[in-house]
Amino acid sequence: MENFRITYDEILSLVHNMCTGISADALAVMRQAAQAESNPAGKAMLEAMIDNVRQAGQLDKPVCQSPGFPTVYVRFGDGADLGGITKWLPQAVVECTKRGYIRPSIVHPLTRQNSGDSSGIGVPNFEYQYRPGQQYLEVIMSAKGCGAELANLSIIMTPATLGSNYVGLKKTVLETVAKGGGIPCPPIGIGIGIGGQMDVSAKLSREAISTRDWRDQHSDPLIAGLEKELLANINALGLGPAGIGGDTTCLAVKIGLASTHTAICPVTINFHCWVARRFGVRFYPDGSREYLFREGK
Amino acid sequence: MAAHSLTVPVDDRQVEQLQIGDTVYLTGMVYTARDMAHLEIRKLVDKGEPLPVDLKGGAIFHAGPVMRKTADGWEMVVIGPTTSIRMEPHARMVGELNVKLIIGKGGLAKDSLAAFAKHKQVYLQAAPGCAVQLAAGVRKVPDVYWLENGMPEAMWALAVEKFGPFIVTMDTKGNSRYDELKAAAAEKIKAIYG
Repeated sequence: MENFRITYDEILSLVHNMCTGISADALAVMRQAAQAESNPAGKAMLEAMIDNVRQAGQLDKPVCQSPGFPTVYVRFGDGADLGGITKWLPQAVVECTKRGYIRPSIVHPLTRQNSGDSSGIGVPNFEYQYRPGQQYLEVIMSAKGCGAELANLSIIMTPATLGSNYVGLKKTVLETVAKGGGIPCPPIGIGIGIGGQMDVSAKLSREAISTRDWRDQHSDPLIAGLEKELLANINALGLGPAGIGGDTTCLAVKIGLASTHTAICPVTINFHCWVARRFGVRFYPDGSREYLFREGK
Repeated sequence: MAAHSLTVPVDDRQVEQLQIGDTVYLTGMVYTARDMAHLEIRKLVDKGEPLPVDLKGGAIFHAGPVMRKTADGWEMVVIGPTTSIRMEPHARMVGELNVKLIIGKGGLAKDSLAAFAKHKQVYLQAAPGCAVQLAAGVRKVPDVYWLENGMPEAMWALAVEKFGPFIVTMDTKGNSRYDELKAAAAEKIKAIYG
């Protein structure tokens, strides 16, 4: 068994820092966008957002009042000892709530009863992913805003509706973005899950935008091309930061793929607000750590 | 595009002067209200009972803050807008209550635009996710109602000073910046993909 010597204090500190900053890759894309933005109101909005991140880091306050919903990706190899993370992550979320870094926003889905401390059934959501042969343990936690969720779409497309050169899929994405307007807190990130059945496409969509660097390029040229084309065309729509006009509507399009059945093409379009709160750590057996998208402040 | 510093409550004439794209800062009382507070208000209105606060000429903020309980009451940690469209089903009621300024993000839809024209109301867009900046404009938190619905869903009374900036995105004349942009985007999609 590989013991990575993870402590509760280490987990608590990771969750705390996640709340008071955004992922460095997302911040870098925003800074670039703010320079290029031609709409004065849009530019001012982007600059305000970047400054808000700086202030949050300086004052040790949450970047956004809405804490989103937490999902944790645990990617482990053979013989990995996950230690206390399954217990400590929910515990750290509760402690950060008590300290004012997370607004208590977790409720029963029907009665709407608020637990008061961010605890609840299935919170955080854990996605355990076995990676045969992987030496390190990778933990990525993402607190994704829920206003953005209001713009999401799951649809079962077919060979006919996909269209030639996937124009049906591309149009669906653009129309969903246009319909969402300012609702998902643009500039947005978009995760698109394609394949499997409906549940698979939904999981892939969240995983793509939550676990990939927002500046990376997909290894499959077909998918890389699709991501690039969609990003450019979404930004040509003119919705802009906060949805009040401008060139910067979308910061990243990330596609997750799985094979599917010959009759269907499930697609989920998953919106992420600009507040990309997440942390990623690779824990190595020798006790060292590698940090992914270190929080930008 | 003008900049306005308004003291709440405001009257019809002040609201009618606000144009799409104008910047607004507020001083006075602002009340937060999201899904559950709107339902609580509706219950009282349906029963013909008075509301705990006077919203006439007032401002409601679609928002749920992070608050810290202190010995003297509540301390504002951060506050920012929530997605307004969830409150669209209450458009008529909010109009009839004579609320004048509705602050949020992402805008409202056609029932609200109709109410805005009839009751002289405007929608103010706050910078989404800029919760630290906005909190700087809150001077005091004098009261809270319906806290049993949880911190985000309670109605918080906020005493604010130079609170903002907000941008006018829906006015009293039937204009919506969101609708304009969506129509333009639809045209572009047609041009790109047919």
